[in-house]
Amino acid sequence: MTKLSRRALGLSAAGIAIGFQWGVTLAQPARPVPPMIRANPRLQAWVRIAPDGRITVLTGRVELGQGVLTAMRQIAADELDVAPDSLTLISGDTAETADEGVTAGSQSIKFGGEALGVACADVRATLIGVAATAWGVPAAGLSVADGVITGSGQRMTYAEAAGRVSLTRAVDGTVARKPVARQTVIGTSLPRTDLPAKVFGQQVFIHDMRPDGMVFGAVARPPGYAARLESLDMAWAKSLPGVIEVVRDGSFVGVIARREEQANDAARQISRTARWRDGAALFAGRDVFDHLLNQPALNTTIHRTEGAAPAVARTHRAEYRRGFQAHASIGASCALAVWQGDAVTVWSHAQGPFPLRGDMARGLRVPLDRVHVIHAQGSGCYGHNGADDVALDAALLARAVPGRTVRVHWTHEEEMAWEPWSSAMVVRMQAGLAADGALGAWSHDVWSFPHSTRPGGATGCNLRSAWYLESPVEAPPATDLPLPNGAAARNAVPIYAVPNQAVTTHFHSAMPVRTSALRTLGGYFNALVAEMFIDECAALAGRDPVAYRLAHLTDPRLAAVLRRAVELSGWTPSPVTAKPIAGEMVGMGVGLSKYKNSDAHVAVVARVAVQTATGEVRVLGLWAATEAGRAVNPDGITNQIEGGMVQSTSWTLMEEGRWNANRMVSDDYDAYPIIPFTKVPPIQSVVIDRPDLPSLGVGEGSQAPTGAAIANAIHAATGRRVAEVPFTPARVKAALG
Amino acid sequence: MLRLQVNGHVAEVDVAPDTPLIYILRNDLSLNGAKLGCARGQCGACTVLVDGLAVRSCQLRVGDAVAPAAVTTLEGLGTPERPHPLQTAFLQEQAAQCGYCTSGMIMHAAALIAGKPSVTEAEVIEGMDNNLCRCGTQPRVVRAVLRAARQGV
Repeated sequence: MTKLSRRALGLSAAGIAIGFQWGVTLAQPARPVPPMIRANPRLQAWVRIAPDGRITVLTGRVELGQGVLTAMRQIAADELDVAPDSLTLISGDTAETADEGVTAGSQSIKFGGEALGVACADVRATLIGVAATAWGVPAAGLSVADGVITGSGQRMTYAEAAGRVSLTRAVDGTVARKPVARQTVIGTSLPRTDLPAKVFGQQVFIHDMRPDGMVFGAVARPPGYAARLESLDMAWAKSLPGVIEVVRDGSFVGVIARREEQANDAARQISRTARWRDGAALFAGRDVFDHLLNQPALNTTIHRTEGAAPAVARTHRAEYRRGFQAHASIGASCALAVWQGDAVTVWSHAQGPFPLRGDMARGLRVPLDRVHVIHAQGSGCYGHNGADDVALDAALLARAVPGRTVRVHWTHEEEMAWEPWSSAMVVRMQAGLAADGALGAWSHDVWSFPHSTRPGGATGCNLRSAWYLESPVEAPPATDLPLPNGAAARNAVPIYAVPNQAVTTHFHSAMPVRTSALRTLGGYFNALVAEMFIDECAALAGRDPVAYRLAHLTDPRLAAVLRRAVELSGWTPSPVTAKPIAGEMVGMGVGLSKYKNSDAHVAVVARVAVQTATGEVRVLGLWAATEAGRAVNPDGITNQIEGGMVQSTSWTLMEEGRWNANRMVSDDYDAYPIIPFTKVPPIQSVVIDRPDLPSLGVGEGSQAPTGAAIANAIHAATGRRVAEVPFTPARVKAALG
Repeated sequence: MLRLQVNGHVAEVDVAPDTPLIYILRNDLSLNGAKLGCARGQCGACTVLVDGLAVRSCQLRVGDAVAPAAVTTLEGLGTPERPHPLQTAFLQEQAAQCGYCTSGMIMHAAALIAGKPSVTEAEVIEGMDNNLCRCGTQPRVVRAVLRAARQGV
C-alpha cells in the first residue's frame, strides 16, 4: 500500500496557493501514462469547464459512422459523474483537440478512449480535492453526482471547484480511472447521439454545409492516372454555363461554378475536350497477379519462430488470390475550403485532421499554421478513400476566389476511379503436418502493393492532385507497416500454436493503381486464407475443422469465441471430404480471428448453399461470437460486428475492380456492385463482455472470419476449394470441375 | 420560373427544367434529407416521395415535378416533435451506422409500407432491394421497417 502525496498542480496559478494532501490510498502502484496523453499532455485538449459549469470534452478521434463519439461521451460522462447529454463534444479540430493521428485500425476506444477517460478522471479527482481541502475533510469521503460534489453535509458544484483551481496544465496521466464495478454509463447501450439528426434531416453531414456565398467546385480528371494535360482552351472553359473561374496548375484543372450541376458538367466537358498525353499502360498490359509475382519486390521475412516439432509426414501448399476492392462509399468524398489572406480553413471528413493538415500545407506550399482543418461527418469511408484528396482539391480551387467558400463533392464515378483501392494480393502458404496431423511448420508469403499511403508523413504529399501540379509535390515513398500489427502482413502471423513459423512479405512500393487502406488493410485476406488453409490441413488430417483448430489453440479467449459461435449455430462439425456433385450442395464452415493479433476475438460460422449448375453461392446464415474485453457500448459493438459481416459477405462473394490501360473502370454500382438486401444473410451474434479486461478494438473484427467462414462452408459443401476472392459463380463453377 | 410544392410549401426556382430535382432540393431549397449518392439511380440515397410514390430525385427532371405534384423529403415526413413511425423505428432499432443512406431508406420504406400493416419480412427485403447501404445495417433496417409497418402508417 502506498500513500500518494501529490503536488497541487497549477493551484498557485489561480492565485490561491492551496497545498493539500490527497487522502487517497491506492491499492496498486500508479498506472502507466496512456500513450495519447504522453503525445498530448495539455488537459485543455481533453476537458474544459466553463465558468458557468458547462463541460466540454474533446477528442482527436472522429465520427465515421462507427458510433465513436457516443462511446467517448459515455467514457467522459462516467469518469466525470455527469449526465452524458450534459457534455459538449468537440472532435477532430486542428485548432482545438489533441492530435490523435488517424481514426483507424480499431484503435479509438483502446487508445483514445483510455486517454480521454484518464483526463476526465484527473479532472474529477482534482475538483474533489478542491472541495476536500475547502471543507477540511478527506477526499475519499466525498462523492459526485451530476457534477455536484457532496460530503460531510456540504455541496460544491464543479463550476465552483473549477473556479478555485487552474485546469490549464498537463494531464496527470497516472490518475486511476473509475473501477469497473462503479461504472454506470460505460457498458450500457447508450443510443447513438448523432442518429436523431440523421433521421430528421438536420444538418450533420459535411455535404449539408452551406455557408453564405458558397460556390461549387469540380475537378476535370485526366483520362488516366499517367495522363498529363497538353492544352486546354481556357477562354472556352470559362465560358461554360455557370462557370465563375477555371483553375489550371500543370495538369490539375478545375472549375468553380455557381451551381453544383454546372460545376460537374463543366468539369466533364473539359475532361473530354482538353488534349491529354497518355502515359504507360497499367501493369504494361499484364495481369496484376503476374505483376505481383514476377516484378521486382522487396522480399523480407518479418516473422520467424523455430521450435521442436515432430517429423513432417506430409506437406501442404496452397496459393490464394484477391483482386482490387473499393471503399465504394454511398456518399462520395466532399470538402469545403475558404481562404482568408494566406490562410485556409478546410472542413473535411478525413480520418486524420492533423495528418491531412501537414500534407495540405506541403501540397499548397504554405506554412503548417496557415492551414486549419475541422472535421465534419461524411458518408462511411471504411478506410482511406477520397476524403483527404478532395480537401486539397477544394483548397486549390478556393484559392482563386479568396473569401468565398468552395464546396467540392466528387461524383461517385470520380471516387471509384480516383480514390485509392485496396491492393490486389497473392498469398502462398505451406504447412508441415506430422503423422497425426499436428502442425509442425507454417509459412505465409504475401505479395502486395501498399495498404497505407495516407497523409501524415514527414515529407511529400499523399494527396492526389498535388502530383499533377506544374511543380508537383510527389508522394513520399510508400512503406509497409511493421509487426505486430502490420499492413500487407496484417494477421499473417498464425493465431495457432505451430512451432516453426515464417511470414514473408513481397512488397511492391510502386503502384500502377494507387492503393491504400481499406478496413483491415491486409488483415481480411491474410486471415481469410490462413483460415482456409487450416481447414484444408484439417481435411488432410481427417479431423473436423473445429476440433483441429482447438487442438492448435493456446489462447483461451479464441477458444471461447470459437466454441460459442459453433454452439450458437447449432453446427455439428465433421471432417470435410470430397463428395459427388449434386444440384444444390449445402455446408457449414468457420472462421476465427484475433484482429491484428492484438484486438477483438471473433469467430463466425457460415451456412451456404452452392448451386452447382451456375456456381452461385448463397449465404443462408451467419453466427458470430465476439469478445473484446470490456464492452463500452454493447449495441455499438453488435452494430459494428454485424455490419462488418454484411460488408465482408459482399467483398467475399461480389467485389472486384477492373481496369483498362488508363485507370480503374469499375466506377459505378453496376460495374462494381455491392450487396443488396436480398443477398444479406440472416445474422445472429453475441458479444461476450469481459469487464475484467481492457477494451479492445472491435470495428474491423468480423470481416476476415466472415469471409473465411463462407470460404470454408463452400469447401464443406462441395469438398472443393475456391482460391480466388471474390467467389464469383464463374470461379466456383470452375472449381467444381 | 418553375413552381414546386415541397413539404407543403410552394417554392419558385429559376433553373433549366432538365436539372435533376436533387440539386434543387439540396442547393436551392437547403433541404438536407435527400442525399446525393451515385447520381445514376443505382443507390437510392436521394429517394423522395412525389405524390406518395418513391422516386429517385437524381433521375427526375425538375420540370417533371412541378406543382401540383407534391414532393416530400425526409424533413416533410416527420419532425422530432411529430415523428413519422419510420423515424421513430429507425431510432428504436438504431438502424444506421454512418446514416448517409438513411433518408433514402426511410423515404423508400414510407411508400413501401403505406397502408400495409401486415407487410411480411420477405416483402420488405424484396421491396428495399435497390436501396444500398455500405455499412451493412440492412438487418436493422428491415427490423425498423417492420416495426413501423406494424404500427400502421
